[in-house]
Amino acid sequence: MSETSDRLLRGYQAQEKRFVERRFPLRFATENPALRELYGQAKRFRWNPETDIAWSRFDSAAYPPPVREAARLVWSRRAWGTYPGLGENTALLLRFCLESGAAGMDAKLFLSFRPAEEAKHLEACFLFARLLGGYEANPPHGALARTSNQPFAQMALDPDVSVEAAVAALGGLDDQLDLNLYLSHLQHSRDETARQLLRLVAGDKQRHVLFAWTLLGDRIPRLDAAGRAGVGLAVRDMLERVILAGYRNTWLLPAEAREPLLAAEALTAEHGLGASTVAQEKAVLRATLAQVRERLAMWGVTLAPLDHPELGRA
Amino acid sequence: MSTYLTETRYPLELASAMPDVWELWRRAKTLEWDPETDIPWEELHPERYSAEQIMAARMHWSRRTWGEYGAISESPALLLRFCLENRLPDLRFFFTMRTQEEGRHAEASWLMAERLGGYFPQPQNPPTVSAVGTHGVRRMAFDPDTSLEGIFASLVCAAEEILIDAFKATVHKATNPAVRRLMELILRDEVRHIAFGWQCLDAWAPTFTSATVQNIERAVTQMIQNVEFNGYRNLWLAVEGGSATPLEIDADRVACEAGLGGTTPEDEMRIVPQFIKKIRARMEPWGVKLPMFDHPKLGKV
Repeated sequence: MSETSDRLLRGYQAQEKRFVERRFPLRFATENPALRELYGQAKRFRWNPETDIAWSRFDSAAYPPPVREAARLVWSRRAWGTYPGLGENTALLLRFCLESGAAGMDAKLFLSFRPAEEAKHLEACFLFARLLGGYEANPPHGALARTSNQPFAQMALDPDVSVEAAVAALGGLDDQLDLNLYLSHLQHSRDETARQLLRLVAGDKQRHVLFAWTLLGDRIPRLDAAGRAGVGLAVRDMLERVILAGYRNTWLLPAEAREPLLAAEALTAEHGLGASTVAQEKAVLRATLAQVRERLAMWGVTLAPLDHPELGRA
Repeated sequence: MSTYLTETRYPLELASAMPDVWELWRRAKTLEWDPETDIPWEELHPERYSAEQIMAARMHWSRRTWGEYGAISESPALLLRFCLENRLPDLRFFFTMRTQEEGRHAEASWLMAERLGGYFPQPQNPPTVSAVGTHGVRRMAFDPDTSLEGIFASLVCAAEEILIDAFKATVHKATNPAVRRLMELILRDEVRHIAFGWQCLDAWAPTFTSATVQNIERAVTQMIQNVEFNGYRNLWLAVEGGSATPLEIDADRVACEAGLGGTTPEDEMRIVPQFIKKIRARMEPWGVKLPMFDHPKLGKV
C-alpha cells in the first residue's frame, strides 16, 4: 500500500516470528471464573449504537450553533481516542494466542468480543458528532494528532513487554482513566442523548477495566521481582509519555495545541452535552492515579508520585 | 514506546464508503446470539445415541472447535492490516464483528462437544496437528508481499466458502434439534463473512494488476492443496491422512448419519467438486484462472 504501511507490517511480522505458538492441547474449560463471567456479560449486555440510543429525540435546535460546533469537535476527539481500541485489543488477543498457546481461553474469548465493542463506541461517537453538525476526521493541531496516535498494538505484540505489563499500562491505567472520565462526563451531562451514549459506553468500559484488574490479580503475584518491575516501568511510561502528554486530557497538551478544543470542551460541559470541566478532569486524573497506585502496591508494584506543572504532586 | 513505528492515522475517515459491506456490519449487530442460551440444549438428548455415534460426534465438534479457534488466533491479524493500510472504515468495522462471531462459533462448537459427552483438546495422534493446526492466515496478513486480495480470496472465498457449502448441503441431515440450530446459527454468520469477501473483491477487481491476479491464483491454489486437501476441515479429504486414526477419519460420516452434524464421503464427493467449479467460474471474470486439482479420492476437479 505504502512504504510506511509495509514497514509497519514487517514490524508485526518480525514480532510474530519471535513467538512459538503451541496450540494443542487446546483447552476451552473455564480456568478463571471471573474472566469467563465477564465474557458471559459481554454476550448478554450487547447493544446497538444505531437503535439503542434515541437519536430522534435529540433536539439540536435547543443548542445555539457555537455549542453544537463545540460539541461536534468534542465527540470527534472522543472518536479519535476510541479508534485505537480496535487495533490494540486485536493485538492483545493475538498476543494471548501466541504466548499462552493452549491455555488462557477465558481471556481470549473476552478479547474476541472487545474490538467489536470498541467499534460500537466508535460508531456512537461518530453518529453523535454527525448529528451535532458533522464528524471531523482531522485533529485541529499536529500535536494532538501525534499524541492520539500511539503504537499500542505494537506494544501489545512486543515479546520484550510482558503481557502483564501491556495489560497494566493499557487496561489498568489508560482504560481505568478513560472509564473514570466517562463517568465524570455522565455525571455532569444533562442532555438525554449524551447521557444515554455515555451510560452505554461506560457499562462496557467497566467490564474492560474489570478484565484488566482481574487478569492482573491472577498473574502479577506469580511474577518475580524483575517481572513486577517491568509492570511498573510500563505503567510509568504510559503515564509520563502518553497520559501526561494529553492523550485523554486536552489541558495536558502543549499550550499551543490546546485550542480550539479546550474551549470546545468547556462549552460542551457548560451545556451538559457530554464533557467535564478542566477542574473536574484534574480531580478524575488525580483520583485515578491514586486508585491505580494503590492497586498495584498490593502486588508489590510501585508507581512513585510525580510532580507535574498542571497537576501538581500526584 | 519510542522504538515503535508510527502509523499514518489521519484523516481518520469513519463514514461508510462501501454500502454493501456497511450493511453487513449493521446486520451483524442485529443478529447477535449467545451459544449458552440460543441453542435448545435440552433437546440434545445424548442418551438416545449409541456410544459409537456419540464418540464420532464428540470428535467432529471438537475438530470444529480447533478449526474455529484459527479464526480467533489468526485471521484477526487482518484487522491490524486494515488499520495500518488505512482501508475503508466499512472493512474495519465489519471485521471487529467477524472476530466476535468466530469466538462465538468456537465456544458453541466446544459446548456441543462437551454436552455430547466431552470435548477432546487435541487429535489422537500428534502428527495430525499440522493438518488442523493452522491455515497460515496470520503469517499472510503480516506479510506485505502477500496481497490483501490474495488473502481474501483464499481465506474467505475458498476456506470459508467450502465450509459453508458443506453446512448448506448437510444441515437438513442434522435431525437433532440442538445440532441443527447450532449449524443454522453458524451458517447465518458465515454467510455474511463470505459476502464480505466477495463484495470486497468484486469492488476491487477493476484495479487488479496481473500481479494481483497471480497472487490470488497462488493463494487460492495453496489454500485448496495445502489446507483443504490436507484435512483442515475434513480428515477424509486429507491426501496424506496417515497420522489420523481410522476413528477420526470416519467420525464425520458416523456423526452425520446419526444426525449430529458432519458430512459423509458421498457428500464430500459432491460438494468439493461443485465448490471448486463454482469459485473457478466466479473468479474467472477477474482474470483469475484456477488450475485443475488432482485428488486421490475426488479425481481431477
